[in-house]
Amino acid sequence: MPQQVPAQASSHSSPPATPQPPPPRLRQATRKQQEKDTQHREREPAAPPPPLAMAAADENEDLIRAFAGMGGLGVDEAAQVSAMGRWRMQPERRAQFRRSFHGFFFSASGGASAGIERCEDEYLRHLEGEFARLKDAAVLWAMHPWERDARWAHHALHHGGAPAGVALVEVACTRAADDLLGARRAYQALHHRSLEENVAYLHKDPAAALLVGLVTAYRYEGERVSEELAAEEAKALAAAVVKASPAAKLVQNEQVVRILATRSKPQLRATFKIYKDLHGKPLEDDFAGEPCLQGAVKCLDSPPKYFAEVIGRAFRDDADRQAKAALTRVVVSRADVDMEEIKDAYAKQHGAKLVDAVASNTHGHYKDALLAMIGR
Amino acid sequence: MATNTFSRVVASPDEDAAALLKAFQGWGTDEQAVIAILAHRDATQRKQILLKYEQMYSESLTQRLQSELSGDFERAMYHWMLDPVERQAVMANAATKCIQEEYPVIIEIACANSSAELIEVKKAYHVLYKSSLEEDVAARTTGNLRIACLLQLLLALVSTYRYDGDDVNMGLANSEAKIAHEAVSNGTTDQGELIRIVGTRSKAQLNATFSCFKDEHSTSITKALPHGTDPTGYLRALRVSVRCLADANKYFAKVLRNAMRDSGTDEDSLTRVVVMHAEKDMKGIRSAFQRRSTVSLEEAIAKETSGDYRSFLIALLGS
Repeated sequence: MPQQVPAQASSHSSPPATPQPPPPRLRQATRKQQEKDTQHREREPAAPPPPLAMAAADENEDLIRAFAGMGGLGVDEAAQVSAMGRWRMQPERRAQFRRSFHGFFFSASGGASAGIERCEDEYLRHLEGEFARLKDAAVLWAMHPWERDARWAHHALHHGGAPAGVALVEVACTRAADDLLGARRAYQALHHRSLEENVAYLHKDPAAALLVGLVTAYRYEGERVSEELAAEEAKALAAAVVKASPAAKLVQNEQVVRILATRSKPQLRATFKIYKDLHGKPLEDDFAGEPCLQGAVKCLDSPPKYFAEVIGRAFRDDADRQAKAALTRVVVSRADVDMEEIKDAYAKQHGAKLVDAVASNTHGHYKDALLAMIGR
Repeated sequence: MATNTFSRVVASPDEDAAALLKAFQGWGTDEQAVIAILAHRDATQRKQILLKYEQMYSESLTQRLQSELSGDFERAMYHWMLDPVERQAVMANAATKCIQEEYPVIIEIACANSSAELIEVKKAYHVLYKSSLEEDVAARTTGNLRIACLLQLLLALVSTYRYDGDDVNMGLANSEAKIAHEAVSNGTTDQGELIRIVGTRSKAQLNATFSCFKDEHSTSITKALPHGTDPTGYLRALRVSVRCLADANKYFAKVLRNAMRDSGTDEDSLTRVVVMHAEKDMKGIRSAFQRRSTVSLEEAIAKETSGDYRSFLIALLGS
C-alpha cells in the first residue's frame, strides 16, 4: 500500500525536489513510542512476552526503519521487498505493522475512517522525498557538472529558503574559474538570461553586491602570490571588521567585496593566513553573523573543510530539508574532485570516518550510491 | 626577391622574413616595405612571420621593429604585431595603470566584444600578467573613495558574462527604463541599480530598455545624463558604456571623429581604434564614419596625420 504513494513526484529536473520533511515530532514520536513500548514491557516483568511477539516486534521495528521512520536518509528498498515476500497472504501481519508505526499511520476513533489505520499526509510527502534521494543522486551524477551547477544556482535563487545566498556562494567559490564560467554558460542556455542578471535582480538584500561579485569572478588560477599584497589586504580586512556596524554592514563593505571577489585563491589563502597570525583568530570567526561572508571565506580557504561541515550538518537530528539535500549535492559534485581531502577533514572534525557515518545514517540503495561515490 | 606585396597573392613567411631583414639593413629602414608586408598580413600569418624571423635570424622581430621604428608609427606597429586577443589584454593592462584617464579603453574592451571574446581577453590577461583583469581594475579603489562609483561600473562591465542571444522581455525593459530614469535624475548618488542593469543585462535587452526610455522621455538616455563636468568621470564612463553597448560602430566612428577634430590629433585613440578593429569590423566603423561626416575615413586620416604613420594607417584600412 505505501507503494501507492501519489505519483505527483516532481518529475521536473530541477534538483532536488524534496517535499516537506516530517516535523521532527513524527520521528521523535516514533522513537519515544518505541522507548515507551520497551519500558512498558520492562515494567511488567511478570510475563515474558511470547517469543513470537518479540520477533514480530523486531520485524516491525526493522520495517519502520526501512520506511525512514527512525531517522536517517533514504529508504531500505531491500527490507521493504523482503517484508512483502514474508507477509504475503498475511493481512493481519501488515495491520500489526501499521498499528506499530505511529508516525506514519494513525487510527481515527470515529467518523468515516474508523477501523482503518490511515496514512498521515505529511508523512507521505516525506516519503516521496526519501524515495527520491537515489533518483536525485543518479540524475545529478550523470549530468554534466556545468549543467548541475547551473541548475543548483537557479534552484537556490528561486526556491531556496533564507540561506539562498549560501548555496550560490558554495557554487561560486569552490569551482575552478573555467568550471564556474562553464556553469554560467549552461545557465544562459537553460534560462536565456545570464546568472549575474538574475542574481542582481532577485537579490535585493544587502548581500547582492557580494554575490554578484563572487558569481562573476574569473580568477587567476596560477600560484603566484604577493606577500606584501596579502599583508596589505589583511590589514584592510581588519579595518573593515572594526568599522562594521548594523548600519554599515560588513557584507556591503566595498573593500571586503572587492578582495573576496577578485583575488586569486592562493592569494586569498595567504591573506587569510596573515590575518590569523595577526589577530589570533581566523577571519571567518570575525565574520560570524554574516552567513554569506562566512561561507565565502570558508569555501575560498579550504573547500574540503567546508564540505565536511556541510555533510556533518546533514546527519544531525535537527537537519532540515536543505541540509539533507546538501548531502547528495556535496557527494555528487565532489566525488571526482577532492573526496579524499573531504574524508580527512571529516575525520578531523567529527572523529569518525565519513564512510562509517554515511553507512549508519542512510539506508538502502541511496546508501550504496553514496558509498560507491565516496569510495573506500 | 620581389614579392609583389601589393597584389593579394601572399608570400610565404620565409620570404616575408627575408624581405623584412632586407628592409632593416643599411642606414635607415625602408618603412614602406615594412608596411607593405606587415599591414597586409592577418593574425596567423603575422605569428608565422614572427616565428620564422626568430628562427632564421636569431633575434626577436618585435624588438628589431622597436629599435628601427619610432614615434606613433612604432607604437602602432608594436600593437599591430600582437595577437588580437593579447593586444586587447595589453591595452587593458596599460589602461589600469592610469585608470582615471584611460577608463574608456577598458569600457570599450568590455562592451564592444562578445561575451566569448571577452573571456578570451581575460584568459590572455591571466597568462600575461599573472593576475586577473578584475583584480587590477578593482584594486584602484584602495583609498580612493571619490571614484568608487566609476570603479563599481568598470568592475561590473569587466566581470560580466552577458547572455548573447536575442531574447528580450519587454515588461522588464519598461521597468528597467523607469529605474534608469530615476537614477539619471538622481545625479551621481545611488547609482547601484543603473550599474546593475548596464553591467548585467544582455545587449538585446539593454537596447530594448534604451528604446523604452526614449519612447517614455523623448530623449535618449545619453542625452538625459547631466552634462556638467564630473571630476570622478562616472558620468562620462556611463555615457561611453551605453553608447558602446547600443551601437559599437557608431561609437568608434565618434571616437575617430573626436580624435581628428581640432588642431591636435589624438594619435593614441586613433591608433587604438584602427589597430584593434582593422581585423574585425573596420568596414562597419568606416561606413558609420562616412554617414556622419563629409569626408571618408581615409581622407580624414590623410589630412590629419603624416609620414609613415599615415601610410601605415591607410594600409590597415585598405585591408
